[in-house]
Amino acid sequence: MSPRSNNLTFALANTSAVLGALFIAFALNLERPYWAMFTVFIIARPISGAVRSKGVYRLLGTTGGAAMALFLVPLLVQTPVLLCLTISGWVGFCLYVSLLDRTPRSYIFMLAGYTAAIVAFSVVDRPDAVFATAVARLEEIWLGIVCAAVAHSIFFPNNAATSINKRIERAIEESANWIADTLKQPPARTDARTYQRLARELTDLHLLYTHVAFETSDVPRARRIMQVLQERLSVLPVHLTSVQKALEAQRTRATLCPEVSRRIDTASDLARRIGSTRWASARSLERLSYQIDDIGKELTGPRTLLEQAITSRLVSLLKALAESRILSAALKDPVPQLPIDLQLEVSLSTRRPLHVDHGIALLSACAATASCLVACALWIHLSWPEGGVAAQFAAIGCSLPATLDRPSKVVRAGVLGIVLALPFGALYVFAVFPRIDGFASLAFALLPALFLLSLMQASEKFGGVALVLAVAFSGALALQPTYQADFASFVNANTAEVIGLLIADAMLIAFRTIGPRWNAVRISRQGWRAVSDLASNASPDAESWSLPMFDRLGLVLSRLRDGDRDFAMAAHIDPLRDLRVGFNLATLKRAEIHLSPTNQATLRSVSANVAAIYRRHDDRDVHALSASLDAAIGALTTEPPSAGRRTGLAALTLLQLELAPATPQNLSEETGA
Amino acid sequence: MTGEFAIDGVFVPRVLIEFALAFGVSLLLRRMLRWFRLYRFVWHAGLFDTAVFVVLAWTIAKVGAGIAS
Repeated sequence: MSPRSNNLTFALANTSAVLGALFIAFALNLERPYWAMFTVFIIARPISGAVRSKGVYRLLGTTGGAAMALFLVPLLVQTPVLLCLTISGWVGFCLYVSLLDRTPRSYIFMLAGYTAAIVAFSVVDRPDAVFATAVARLEEIWLGIVCAAVAHSIFFPNNAATSINKRIERAIEESANWIADTLKQPPARTDARTYQRLARELTDLHLLYTHVAFETSDVPRARRIMQVLQERLSVLPVHLTSVQKALEAQRTRATLCPEVSRRIDTASDLARRIGSTRWASARSLERLSYQIDDIGKELTGPRTLLEQAITSRLVSLLKALAESRILSAALKDPVPQLPIDLQLEVSLSTRRPLHVDHGIALLSACAATASCLVACALWIHLSWPEGGVAAQFAAIGCSLPATLDRPSKVVRAGVLGIVLALPFGALYVFAVFPRIDGFASLAFALLPALFLLSLMQASEKFGGVALVLAVAFSGALALQPTYQADFASFVNANTAEVIGLLIADAMLIAFRTIGPRWNAVRISRQGWRAVSDLASNASPDAESWSLPMFDRLGLVLSRLRDGDRDFAMAAHIDPLRDLRVGFNLATLKRAEIHLSPTNQATLRSVSANVAAIYRRHDDRDVHALSASLDAAIGALTTEPPSAGRRTGLAALTLLQLELAPATPQNLSEETGA
Repeated sequence: MTGEFAIDGVFVPRVLIEFALAFGVSLLLRRMLRWFRLYRFVWHAGLFDTAVFVVLAWTIAKVGAGIAS
């Protein structure tokens, strides 16, 4: 379907979901039908699986929050200060926990936090109503979720797998072409943007894939295949830049031997061919795999270690690319058997975490608790009747945008949304509603507004704006079974919402103003810790290590502008280098088992020195490392030729290139193979 | 048809229980159908799942009413 008709069907489904929810809510005489109304808008997504997953998460979160309010309010309602402290603390705690999980699942905890605030603060003056309010909130949200989920699964649903597969195909094709081009050129400054794009795309795919578990039943579930595929795609830039770096180093020392440059040309052609095979049939890839192995054949005659390392990385690069093709085909239809080693890896793969940022989570939690407390203080000390609403919106305003780099921008957009939606709401409440005498006329009156908002929500550009407007509009209408228009309370409630959001804005500015450069340093530091852990750990799990590292790469690069290059160099920020080092370390560990015990000990001392460098960037460690690298390379060249020796030497050579480039004499030493 | 179950003093409508049961059964059924790759023969999985749920809920309600009477 074309994007335009997609948007239309989405808007149609969404409008019917809203009207259906309103109709049922009025028919059952529920207390606040508008809660059901904006729930539909909140969980509406152009992808059916995303609607259903968000619905489930919203349900769980609301239930948890309502239960918490139900538990706290009767206990603490006599001591308002204590109640405010506990609820604010709970909001902060939930936000902290939710920010530790970057998948859509985090919504559960965030919602549990501010739902408790919504329910508790709206019943403090009549605590006996807490059960009824909690149940009402649950009922309306259930209703909204069920209506949205049914409507978006039945009316021309778009499933998550289609768009995921399309994006993966595109990512592989782009990577393949880019590898083919880049192998023939020296590294360019613009490469960093390409890596950033790929890293971002992989993180997005990771998040998007969580919806597949909730997709309509015809979509195959293949989480493990997806994990291995992500790993393959994430090592592409690692191998590619390794090759580039080694080539550069080789060219500054001596001319490249014609055999190596011939193999590089072959590799470039193969990459382009892998990129253009749309449906990777097993046979065509098998033929390719022989050609890939040809590239890695031991170079005959006296060759430098660097040239050997280049060919071995070319093989890894092409293998990863070819396997990502096979895996992406398997993602669509997991039934045909994968090659046996891939199948084994897929069935052993474990869940991969993304980068977790405790610092930001803690600061956001502080901002949420503080803004909630400030609103409560105003509420109590000014005896302000609508203060509870302000406290609710302070909690919501700090929670929802907490994952962003500059959350206060979104809060200000929310204020603007409320102010903009207000006149429309007022128009409906005071001019249209008095003339309405039943559901049919209400539906007709609301239809244009609902359809317009849904249509806006479908487009990528206006999606966020539309959501803010839709929620603000539903809140301003505050549809209730009996018509009660009171201009004073209309204005009061909306003012309190705006004040609550402004408090949230102030607190977010106070707690969450962090320069992007400093953030990049913080994230990189965590990456260094991961590398040193990998180096000092006896049995590393390099597969699950690479996704968070690659995620960090995207996060760091997106925070650095082109002008920050010198700063990044000075602060040792180079996430791609960290990835390469980690990858070479893992290769070393795998090669270790094939070697003699004394050589194993030498390799271990190399790892220990790398760990030391990554713990504290100190020149003395660099000297120690280069000495141990020299010793290890010397020791390995005396080993009899074997696969372990070759991969070990390649990894050591590349490590030397990354971390101790000052000693070139060894690199040009010839290996008489 | 209409009635309520009292669970620890909270009255829960019978329809809710029936729906919850039907939903659980439909989850199992969908998993089985997916396991046998029968969704290849289904044109519109969302619609099909909804229809299966309705049929299951109706059956459970009928059977429940039969047992109660």
